[in-house]
Amino acid sequence: MKKKSLFAMLLVGLMALSVAASGCIGGGENTKGAIAIVYDVGGRGDLSFNDMAYLGASRAAKDFNLELVELQSNSEDDYYKNLETLAKAKKYKIIIAVGFMMTDATKAIAQKYPEQKFAIVDGFDPEMPDNVMMILFKENEGSALAGALAGLIAANDGKNKVGIVLGMEIPVLYKFEAGYRFGVKWAEDYYRQKTGNDARVDVIYQYTGSFNDAAKGKAAAEAQLQNGAWVVYQVAGGTGLGVFDAVKEYLNTRNRQMGPPFAIGVDSAQDWIKPGVIIASMMKRVDVGVYDAVKAAVDGTFKGGAVELGLKENGVGLSTVDDVMAMFNSLSEDTQKKKLQELGFNSKDELRQYLENTRKQVPSWIWQAVDELKQKIISGEIKVPAPTNKDRIEKVRQAQTWQEMEQLAG
Amino acid sequence: MRSSGRPGVSEILEKINFRAFVESIIAVAVGFLIGAIILLAFNYNPAEAYTALFRGGLASIDNIAATLHYSTPILLTALTFAIGARTGIFNIGAESSFYLGAIAAVAFTNIWGNLWFGLLMGMALGALWALPAALLKVYRGVHEVISTIMLNWIGWYLISWLIVGPYADPNNPIKTIKVPENARLPTIGNTVLSWGFIIAVVAAILVYFILWHTTLGFGMRASGYNQRAARYGGISPRAAMMWSFIIGGMASGLGGAMKIMGEYPGYAISQGGSNIYGFGFDGIGVSLVGRNHPLGIILSAIFFGMLKAGTSEMQQTGVPLEIVKLIQGIIIITVAIPGLYDLLKKGLRRAA
Repeated sequence: MKKKSLFAMLLVGLMALSVAASGCIGGGENTKGAIAIVYDVGGRGDLSFNDMAYLGASRAAKDFNLELVELQSNSEDDYYKNLETLAKAKKYKIIIAVGFMMTDATKAIAQKYPEQKFAIVDGFDPEMPDNVMMILFKENEGSALAGALAGLIAANDGKNKVGIVLGMEIPVLYKFEAGYRFGVKWAEDYYRQKTGNDARVDVIYQYTGSFNDAAKGKAAAEAQLQNGAWVVYQVAGGTGLGVFDAVKEYLNTRNRQMGPPFAIGVDSAQDWIKPGVIIASMMKRVDVGVYDAVKAAVDGTFKGGAVELGLKENGVGLSTVDDVMAMFNSLSEDTQKKKLQELGFNSKDELRQYLENTRKQVPSWIWQAVDELKQKIISGEIKVPAPTNKDRIEKVRQAQTWQEMEQLAG
Repeated sequence: MRSSGRPGVSEILEKINFRAFVESIIAVAVGFLIGAIILLAFNYNPAEAYTALFRGGLASIDNIAATLHYSTPILLTALTFAIGARTGIFNIGAESSFYLGAIAAVAFTNIWGNLWFGLLMGMALGALWALPAALLKVYRGVHEVISTIMLNWIGWYLISWLIVGPYADPNNPIKTIKVPENARLPTIGNTVLSWGFIIAVVAAILVYFILWHTTLGFGMRASGYNQRAARYGGISPRAAMMWSFIIGGMASGLGGAMKIMGEYPGYAISQGGSNIYGFGFDGIGVSLVGRNHPLGIILSAIFFGMLKAGTSEMQQTGVPLEIVKLIQGIIIITVAIPGLYDLLKKGLRRAA
């Protein structure tokens, strides 16, 4: 008896709910179509890679009056299904897959749905069908600037080590590592010529094997700081957030607010996360890449194949204070308020002032030197190696001078 | 030996099954109801979200294929848990047997590119990995929960090393070397589904047959009900427990092997083991929902697979992944409650 009445109540409840639900169906805004984006397992909120992709997609959606649909992947098994769901809907001008992990799935779905346009960030496959645009970056060029900055700060303070904490050991990350090493060696040379003093700066590196484990990143950075690393460059997405914590704690235990030692951020202009700790960030303008892909799909200039964005194309580069503030302004109002409170600033201007002061901890000739290297790379006078497998990165690791490394940049 | 003769048992089973089925249906309804309330609280439209969920799982050939594709590995790991539960063992070692099956598939198919060889070696390694826990339990009385958890960790670190070490793909370090083409499970039509699902269903039917239609199975279930009585009736609980672990390990090992051999389009394990992690634990839930009965497990695995397959469609309506997972978690918990209740009741009775 009891059971029956319970069941009846359930049914009534379900009916009531469905009535209530049908009354509040949200209509779509007046858009001229839609675009879709699929995130990697890390997903939104990594304050770097995925968030940058979102930034580009949302800006494009606003500019071209499109609806933006986002799908997260719970695990790797979801890539194929997520992409297929979107491709089957047949309503997206372009589907953007964020992350190299989706390369296989994107290729398979693109072959199955040849009418649909796709873009993949960081993924490369020589046999990719021509309805896929592969957005690639010259991380080696941007990282060379990070390396030059790190190397010069260390040499100038009489230190002999800098660190780099990386995520998974994947070909893309070899490009970061090689660029960084190149920059450090270039800095040695520059310092020697400028001051006449000998300088030797070694690179300590560690692959943590993950992109979303801040504790791992922290442990790795702590070890490097203990070892005497004077600047630590993080190339590990969410794992890298732990690197900032490690450097901050190192400073705190010495009662200091600002570095050195410094950390260098990655992917987005991360300086605002820990002002005073992060001297600059190597920006990988995933937002630019994604925006351009959407634009191409909208105005009919879409082409399959690889698109490489380097220093010249503004695809990579070191963050300026303006970049950082732009990134900060792209956060939601709530987040901005919370963050300012947490940092103890009353206004964005104070944050800006603090960032400027942080950069003043480094002599201006160093910033000029980094800019000099940038110009030389853009003009093609200097080439930065971009190894994509173990043998090649090993060669870069063994090279003693930047000229030797340049030989490897065939 | 005439108190409740064997023909009577099957009658009781049928009754229980019908009751279990009704209970599960009610539980599903309750789960969806609570989920709907939460969706409403977050300002989403439950009707739209649920429609999308079912559409994503069932509305086309591709979607049904995805549902069955997702249900294959958890069906097999659920069998591991069910065989254990029927023998009175709380076997949670499915997770690591699954890992070993997966790495066995990669390793052995690259030695000899034969499909059946790969599946066989997956089963063998899965069973092998269950053996230490079985021996410790049978000869030393070590509780299986402790030993299987430890084995899970040992297995995890072992394969973590194998993935980045000996079996890493030099050209693509984020994955292991691929299963060679002639050892891959062929896909059915132009979908993601491989023949693995059919094999998994056959395995479930086989387990059902072993448990309910063989002397060995009768012994296993009898020692699951009451070890002393079983021993009195001339059944060896030791042998029953050993077989329970071994057959269980084989099922999960097969699951792991098929996960990689039927994983279109990658056919490899990813760095960090992200595409083989967690299936053993999910299997426990699948087994509880299926009331630790192989045939019930087939249905509950498909139900779980449908939830997974519907995730992307549900997200497409604007519900974020975290909320989707929250709703699914609630549904799964409510569905598992009756099975969990039975399990605890049994456990308490045994402890008393």
